[in-house]
Amino acid sequence: MIRFKNASVTYPGGVQALKNVTLEIPDGQMMVIVGLSGAGKSTLIRAINGLVPLTGGDVLIDDVSVRHARPRQLREIRSKIGMIFQTFNLVKRTTVLNNVLMGRLHGAGTMRSVLGWYREADVEIAMRSLERVGIVEKAYVRASNLSGGQQQRVGIARALAQEPKIILADEPVASLDPPTSHVVMRDLQRINTELNMTTIINLHFLDLAKVYGERIIGMRAGELVYDGTGAKADENVFRDIYGRSLTADDLMGEAGAAASTTG
Amino acid sequence: MTADQVARTPTARPTKPARSPWVPLSLLIFLGLTWAAASEELGIGFDIGELIGNFTRGFPFLADFWSPNWAFLPQTYEPMLETLRMSIIAAAIGCSVALPISFLASRVTTPNLAVYLADRGILNVVRAIPDILYALIFVAALGIGALPGILALVLFNIGVVVKLLSETVDGVDPGPIEAANAAGGNRTQAVRWAVLPQVLPNYVAYSLYVFELNIRASAVIGIVGAGGIGRLITTERRFFNYDNLSVILIEIFVFVFLIELISISLRRRLV
Amino acid sequence: MTAATADARPTRPSRAKRNLALLGTALLVGWAVFTIDVEIERLADLPGGLALIFHNMFIEDGLDWSSLGDGLLLMLESIQIAWLGTIIGAILSLPLGFFGAKNITSGTVSNIVRQVLNAIRAIPEIIVAAIVFIPMVGLGPYAGTLAIGVHSIGTLGKLSAEVIEGIDPGPVEAARAAGGRSLQVQRWGVLPQVMPEIIAFWLYRFEINVRASAILGVVGAGGIGESLQQALIFGRYPRAGMLILVVIVATILVDVVSGWARRRIIEGSGAKGGSGEPIEEPDFAVAGAGKADTTGIGAADGDGGPA
Repeated sequence: MIRFKNASVTYPGGVQALKNVTLEIPDGQMMVIVGLSGAGKSTLIRAINGLVPLTGGDVLIDDVSVRHARPRQLREIRSKIGMIFQTFNLVKRTTVLNNVLMGRLHGAGTMRSVLGWYREADVEIAMRSLERVGIVEKAYVRASNLSGGQQQRVGIARALAQEPKIILADEPVASLDPPTSHVVMRDLQRINTELNMTTIINLHFLDLAKVYGERIIGMRAGELVYDGTGAKADENVFRDIYGRSLTADDLMGEAGAAASTTG
Repeated sequence: MTADQVARTPTARPTKPARSPWVPLSLLIFLGLTWAAASEELGIGFDIGELIGNFTRGFPFLADFWSPNWAFLPQTYEPMLETLRMSIIAAAIGCSVALPISFLASRVTTPNLAVYLADRGILNVVRAIPDILYALIFVAALGIGALPGILALVLFNIGVVVKLLSETVDGVDPGPIEAANAAGGNRTQAVRWAVLPQVLPNYVAYSLYVFELNIRASAVIGIVGAGGIGRLITTERRFFNYDNLSVILIEIFVFVFLIELISISLRRRLV
Repeated sequence: MTAATADARPTRPSRAKRNLALLGTALLVGWAVFTIDVEIERLADLPGGLALIFHNMFIEDGLDWSSLGDGLLLMLESIQIAWLGTIIGAILSLPLGFFGAKNITSGTVSNIVRQVLNAIRAIPEIIVAAIVFIPMVGLGPYAGTLAIGVHSIGTLGKLSAEVIEGIDPGPVEAARAAGGRSLQVQRWGVLPQVMPEIIAFWLYRFEINVRASAILGVVGAGGIGESLQQALIFGRYPRAGMLILVVIVATILVDVVSGWARRRIIEGSGAKGGSGEPIEEPDFAVAGAGKADTTGIGAADGDGGPA
């Protein structure tokens, strides 16, 4: 279980990205965070694996404090948390497989990983992750030669290769077109139900959030302003979160809705 | 007022913004320094007249330049090979050592400020010493031969490659580094898998570049006894054998040219 | 989505090419190592030898302040050599840069000019000084200045040509359309675009020339080099140590001031990023990784320009 206790983040310039957030996320939940840019979504998610250090309060994962973890402990914690990024963060010049193997870095010793001598077991796990997202045939293709949707799936495979208990996704579909976005979101949903991994996703598009979010969290100016199911999140709720009326930019739109067979 | 009249009311013309006094001032300083440097008393005694007058003084020697003595060529093989060997070894050692040092010299891969500053500080000092000065020192410590030359070139190479590579590292895409950290990797792993692949083509290009520089440099350090073709140049110069010297120079030029060709095609293949 | 089956896994592609290249390099290095005529045992003397030299230079009798005066004067001479040499190189390289730029002069002419510039570049300054200018004007700083000047023409010419080739054709077109003559077009259409970067190159070249000029004395072309060599040869280590310190400090100072000036010029012009430093000499257009560099592909490549 992930627990936020009065978590706050104040950046050196004085900007308060998180203000006293208290939150509990049970294992296996699929949670979506919505809010304007700068509302604290990114900070909240990065506080979980310590990429953004807290300046107040704490975040605990299975009762282990992330804030007070020593570097070695922190790496151990992170190895159990897979992260997916908006810009994919793949190493473009190298193969898909090498990218996915980055998920096995923690387990492989430093010597081994520097030389690239991964154990067979690690390679097997990487391959299986690729199979799970359906692009194993691209294993030896250079990452830059893939489409956006494919690259994100490699990102997901990399996260899966860690065999994590938690998956964090920071605006995973913001760089993708609507049909591909749905494919990726459905992948994440499947991973959540089939592998029972806690999945926390930042989303920009509200209609997408409603469809895929079992639980929706609304952030506004660093504070938690909504916490409820997707069903109950209607236009009024969103207007509270966004502080303004909804615009077309906030919705992905009909173009990609419902069952899409592409990807 | 009609729209027309409103539009045509002339606005006051702006005055030309005052030119910063720095521009003419620095120009003045510049000219002053230049004049001082060229003058007889304060500086070098630059005299165009003297140059033109003496132009012909060198001609008897330089005339030989235009008729290279190809019979001399075989005598250049061994020194040239020594230059080649020195360049290869120095480039190999220098570039290998430079790789980890480059990572220490970039804030991207070395968040620790103290280490970074120390590394850059040492780098600046290392680079401030010309390669020949290294050669002089090593010759003083080890005697003449190729060994001091190799050492001098190694230090020279490290200076060049670290500067270039660390700047490349400064410019890498930080995304994969974040991903490596998020997956629980340590700094070495992040450098190996997130940074290195991004800079590898540049690294190879820089390595080939210093190899080429070494060929030219070893011609020079040989003058102080550090091996290579430089020694031959000194000897032939002493005897004013310009016909031999021109063979040597042509050889150096051909070599450098060939290596540039090879390195260009190699670099293209790498990208 | 279909679940892929295990036997759909691709096989690892052959790494023969890469391994061949690595093997080739290893062989080359191996050849060099095993055929070089070097007494490797002497290496063991190195730490001791260096420590001894260091001790003699700086510690045994303390710093040799009496040589400071000489050192400063001689270093000043070296800097003056570099200064004038760079100016000569800068002035003469500018027109050559224009001639060497494909977008200004015709292909054949620019190619010839580039090859000539390459030839000049290939010969190190000290050799030019020793072989060409000393016979002409005798020993002394004059020869050194000329040597540095001529060599700089080569490098600066090439770099300038590349910058010119990389300009935005818009203003040039506009100047031509307005009826400007060729020289005017170049003065107003091309020059403003390229000047900041070219001036930055001049400053950078100055930094390098200071190093070169410090050494020229070794062949008698002026500056601190000759005294330094004499001091080392005759075992006057404290003096040598002081002279070396002067060289290091002066070079670093020049680097700092010149670097600052370069950065100001490049920032002020809003030109492409970087610190106005060309990738030392040739040609790095490696797939956009690294800083914005204006250099194209090297000597032999006829269709140069930033790749």
